[in-house]
Order: sequence, then structure tokens, then C-alpha cells
Amino acid sequence: MEFRKLGIVGGGTMGKSLAEKVASNGINVVLVEISPEKAEQARAELTASLDRELEKWGITASEKKVVLSRVRFVADMYADAHCRAELAGCDMVIETVQEDLEAKKKAMRRLGEVCPPDRVFITNTSILSITEIAAASGRPDRVLGMHFMRPVTRTPVVEVIRGVETSDETFETALALARALEKTPVTVFEYPGYITTRVLLPMLNEAMYVVMEGVASAKDVDLAMRLAYEFRTGPLEYADRVGLDKVMGWMEHLFRELGDIKYRPCPLLHKLVRAGHLGRKTGRGFFVYEDQQRVDAPAEEVAL
Amino acid sequence: MKVLVLNSGSSSVKYQLIETSFEQIEADADRTIARGAVERIGTSSAVHTYRPEGCEKTSTVKEILEHSVAIAEIIQTLTRPGTGVIGDASEIEAVGHRVVHGGEKFTQSELCSPEVMREIEDCCELAPLHNPHNLRGIHAARQILPDVPHAAVFDTSYHQTMPPVAYLYGLPYVLYTRHAIRRYGFHGTSHRFVGWRSRKLLGRPREETRLITCHLGNGASMCAIDHGRSVDTSMGFTPLEGLLMGTRSGDLDPAVVFHVMHKEELTEYQATTMLNKHSGLFGVSGVSNDMLELEKAEAQGHERARLAIDIFCYRVRKYAGAYAAAMGGVDAIVFTGGIGENSPTVRARAMEGLEFMGVALDPARNEAAVKGREADISTTDAKVRTLVIPTNEELIIARDTLRLMKGKLQPVG
Repeated sequence: MEFRKLGIVGGGTMGKSLAEKVASNGINVVLVEISPEKAEQARAELTASLDRELEKWGITASEKKVVLSRVRFVADMYADAHCRAELAGCDMVIETVQEDLEAKKKAMRRLGEVCPPDRVFITNTSILSITEIAAASGRPDRVLGMHFMRPVTRTPVVEVIRGVETSDETFETALALARALEKTPVTVFEYPGYITTRVLLPMLNEAMYVVMEGVASAKDVDLAMRLAYEFRTGPLEYADRVGLDKVMGWMEHLFRELGDIKYRPCPLLHKLVRAGHLGRKTGRGFFVYEDQQRVDAPAEEVAL
Repeated sequence: MKVLVLNSGSSSVKYQLIETSFEQIEADADRTIARGAVERIGTSSAVHTYRPEGCEKTSTVKEILEHSVAIAEIIQTLTRPGTGVIGDASEIEAVGHRVVHGGEKFTQSELCSPEVMREIEDCCELAPLHNPHNLRGIHAARQILPDVPHAAVFDTSYHQTMPPVAYLYGLPYVLYTRHAIRRYGFHGTSHRFVGWRSRKLLGRPREETRLITCHLGNGASMCAIDHGRSVDTSMGFTPLEGLLMGTRSGDLDPAVVFHVMHKEELTEYQATTMLNKHSGLFGVSGVSNDMLELEKAEAQGHERARLAIDIFCYRVRKYAGAYAAAMGGVDAIVFTGGIGENSPTVRARAMEGLEFMGVALDPARNEAAVKGREADISTTDAKVRTLVIPTNEELIIARDTLRLMKGKLQPVG
């Protein structure tokens, strides 16, 4: 299957990263936001991301121009007829709205109304039930989950998750998309956390316990794990980058769904989230950040 | 006989329709009837430029999503009443394709049999950016012109005569046997063409001529040609090795790559792009990858533009010296390619200091040699001749296609 135009609903970090990758691979993108202001902001942030890539020699100035020209930023799919028409013209739509079951169901419902009945919808989720989200679309056989990992431009793998109703044809379409984006697909049957999130979270959580129990400093935990296992980023900085509120949300979800004590969120994680130290985006989590870059602040600065 | 020559890239197909025959080759009278290019394939605004010989260039914009559509469009244009140059597609008797990488398998051009196609596919691993697109072009062209022979002419095959001392790297030998890591060289068709023209121009037999050919364009490489055979060339496993190029670094201590990746926290992809697209003349000067613009900037006192041109010329001189040593002497140094054919400054600066070898340029002849004319730019008494020969890779592709069709492929040169 050839993809000429893909819809992406939601211009958050994942939506933008996905748009950058899709457009870089020669496919046009309609990026749907909830307001013209948000759409403009998404454009500015995508431009900034391309500028960073240019600065690191990953693309050329003319490639940056080409990628930007392939993305159309529009708003919003509820009120604006032009936006709906753009979406209806897409070969496939990927929703990347916030990781919240109700929000995702709402988006799916709307897509079901707006797009021709033969279009496939992808929900990008790392943890939620595909079957539940798919039901809202009115075409559950044409919906499946794809868990892309950030930054989408670099991570070479994608989890492809079939819901209960997902048809073989829809599954094949998703594999074709993975190929078009040069990603290795890994098939997963629906189960909370799939592979990557489920294996990763207990490790992040355990690293937090090590800090909480005073066994080692956050800095040393990350240093040891990074050097020992050749991780690009240590577990605590990784959690900071994802956002501690998000990590906690995932843990609570797994804990609720699976009921196993091993998914209980570390109390230190609770404490930091309550204090508003959500990681890199707020400038502070397990580490301190300035301009999105980690700065080596004294260990005691971290609220214990 | 009319041969369609195709050069298929990732999003482009360049083409020439060439009239050739053994008699015409003998008289050096084969010629291009029309040429053009379809670019930005895969978009709704693909651009097709077309120029019949002796006419104005025209360009049209339309949606072309695939190579097969591009090639169908090319044939339509060539046969269109009024502006076309042939009455019917059946006048095209063969198609010659440029293929970048032929690995160690292909030492000469070949007709595209199923076996040959499989082997070209095997070479994709060595040239992932080029061979898949070349193959796509061949598949598409065979669909549209299924009844004529298709030939593949390789950029690498001319250099397959290099001896192991020239093509092996100083790496664990197992890498050669396991992954075919060795120097292959590129621009082979161009070096072969200008080598042949030079010998004709000098009136010297192949056995008694040692040439150093300099293909200087946005990509640049040099070749040492002895007895009509390539004995060394400056590009290696990929076109990244050797001379400084428009945006490629050329020779480099490999340790630099790892050091920079670590310091700048680059991914492998970013490092590769840096070496291929952000380095060379462009990277050093910070101005442009275009020699003409650099020469202008230098004239206005731009220091790094001067530096970039100096490095470029210095490397050409260094390789010239090395290749003269490799062959135990040299009879002529030949310039070709966009820069080699059109920049008297670069030619003069690159040859500066080679008087000890017998190189001597005549400034007036050098200045006069531009715009696609063959010329001897050395002084009358120079021991080593310096030539400018406009390259014509398409002509070689057309001729090889003809020879393969008639079963008369001669050894290279």
C-alpha cells in the first residue's frame, strides 16, 4: 500500500515527532490541533526541532524546507469544515491525543464520523486498551494500536497491537506503514503495557526505590546503569524526560489493571509529582534542567 | 540505432536518446538526439525538463508518483508529434541503464538477464542509497519497453582492474572475505571515456600511455590509468573517500568520526549526513558547494572560501603525485567534470608545483578551455600533457549497450 497523505490528530510531543518522521520519509501530513493557536505552536515547535537536527548536521537546509512543506497544520476537527475535509482526504489517520481513555475515545468517535468508512485509524498508545478505543470509532475492525517511541525520527522499532476486532487487512496496512517509516514492527497481543512499557516501568520504579532507600544517589544510579548496560540515558533521567506525572500515570494504570504489587508506584515518585517536580519539562525531577539540558546540580537539591 | 540511456535516482530519472552504430563509433559520429530529466518523482509537482538537440529547453510540472510513470512520460515526450524526436517508441532499439555498484561481480557492462538482475540486487547492500533506485528504474523501463534489450553499465566495473595493493584497506582481512570491505571506486564510466578520448587526442596507443584523470564535479575522484586499465582511484568503499568534494569530506582519519560523535553526541545517521552533506567545499567555506560561487567569494576576500579552494586543489595535486609514483611516471593529466571542464583557476592551482614532473600549463590555453571543448592546455614543450576533456558517460552507456546487443563487447578502454 502506498501512503500519500497521513492524518495525525494531536500536535503534542509524539504528534510532532511522528509528523517529522512521516514527512521526512516523503509522505504528506495533515496535523490536526484543537485550535489555530495550538496549530501555530505545533508548527513553531516542529520548525525548532528541524533546526536542532540541522545544527547537528542530520539534515540540510533544503531538506528542512521540504519536510516543512509536506506538513499542513490545521484546526479543529469538531468545528472547522476545512479541517474535516483535509482529514477525510487522508489515506490513514493516527491519533496521538493525550494518554487518557476518554480523550482517545472522543477523538476516535469524531474520526469515525469525519473519514470515509474504509479508512484505517491508528491509535498511538503505550498502555491503553485498543479494543475499548476501537469500539468508539464505529469500525473496530479497521483500528489498531501502534506504539511509536520518541523520538520517532530515531527509534527503529514500533509495537503493533491488535485489538480483539482488528482485521488481518488492517494489520497488513499497519505493517506497510511501519515499512514506509523504516521501523521494525513487533506484533503484540493486547495486554496492559505491551512489551516495552511493561518491561521498562518496573526498572524505572526500582531505580527510584534505590534512591529512596538511600542506597545510592540518583546520579550514581544513572551512571552505573548507563555504563553497565550501555543505556544512552540512565533510568532516572529517562523518567525525567518522559515526565514523572506520565510515568506515575502508567504505573497506576498497570497496578490497577494487573493488581500485582510489583507495579506499585514508588512513594518517592508520588512525592515529586505532588511537589510539581515533573522532570525535564518543569526544570526539575530527579535531576535539574536548564533549557531542557541536564545540569549537574548537587545531589541534595533533589527533594527526598 | 537509437539507444535510450537512463540514470534513475531516488526521486529522479535523467535520460538521453542517443543515435549510435559501429560505423558512427568508428567515425566518432554518434550523437545525442534529445536529453532531459524528470525530477521530484513521488510528488504532485514533479518537474520534467526536455531538450531536443539544437532546440530550446522546455519544462513541465505535473504529478508523477512513480518511476514507471516517469519513464512512460519520457517516452511520450520523445514521440509527441511536433516536439518529439522519434515517430514511435519502437524506434528505441535498446535501453542502457546506469547502475552505481556492481561489486566484485561485474567487471564489464552486462545485458539485464534474470541472473544479472539478481546479482545487482545483491550489490544493494554495498550501495543502499543508489542500487535500489537504479533497479527500480530498470524494472519500470522493462515494463514499458519489454521487447528490447536492456543493459546495465556500472560505475564500479572499470576499476575492477585495480590490483589488491590498491583496493585493499589495512583492516583485518576477514572483513574483506566476510563483508566485501574493499575499495571499489566510482565514476568509472567517466574515467574510461576521458581516458579513451585522451589517447585519441594524443594519438598514443593504449599500451604506452599512463594517464591521471581528474573527474572534478560536485562529486570528485581521480584515476590512474595504465595500459587503458584503471590501476588506482581515489574513491573507495563508498564515494566518500579521496578528494575534497562539494559537500563530502574526502580522506579523513576514521578516529575523527568516533571522537566527534562522542563530543557532539551525534547519532550514526547524523555523523553520516555530516560527512556526506555538510562537509567538503561547503563545510570548510561555510559559503557554498559551488566552485563558481566560491571563486567569486574568494575574489571578494572571503578567507574561508580561499581556504576551501586551496584544500580542494592541494588534494588533487597530492593524488596526482601519488599516481605518477604508482605508475612510475605519467604522460598526461586530464581534467573533466563540471569543475574540471570549466575552472581554469582550479586547474592552474592544482597543477602548481608539478613542474618537477614535467607538467607545464600554458596560461592562455588554460583560460580559453571552457564550455565543453576538448583542449590541450599545456605549453608546447611540456613533457607531460595536460588536457581538458568534457566527459560523456551516456555515450559510453549507449555504446556498451549496442556492443552487448550485437555480442561485440570489447575489453574496456
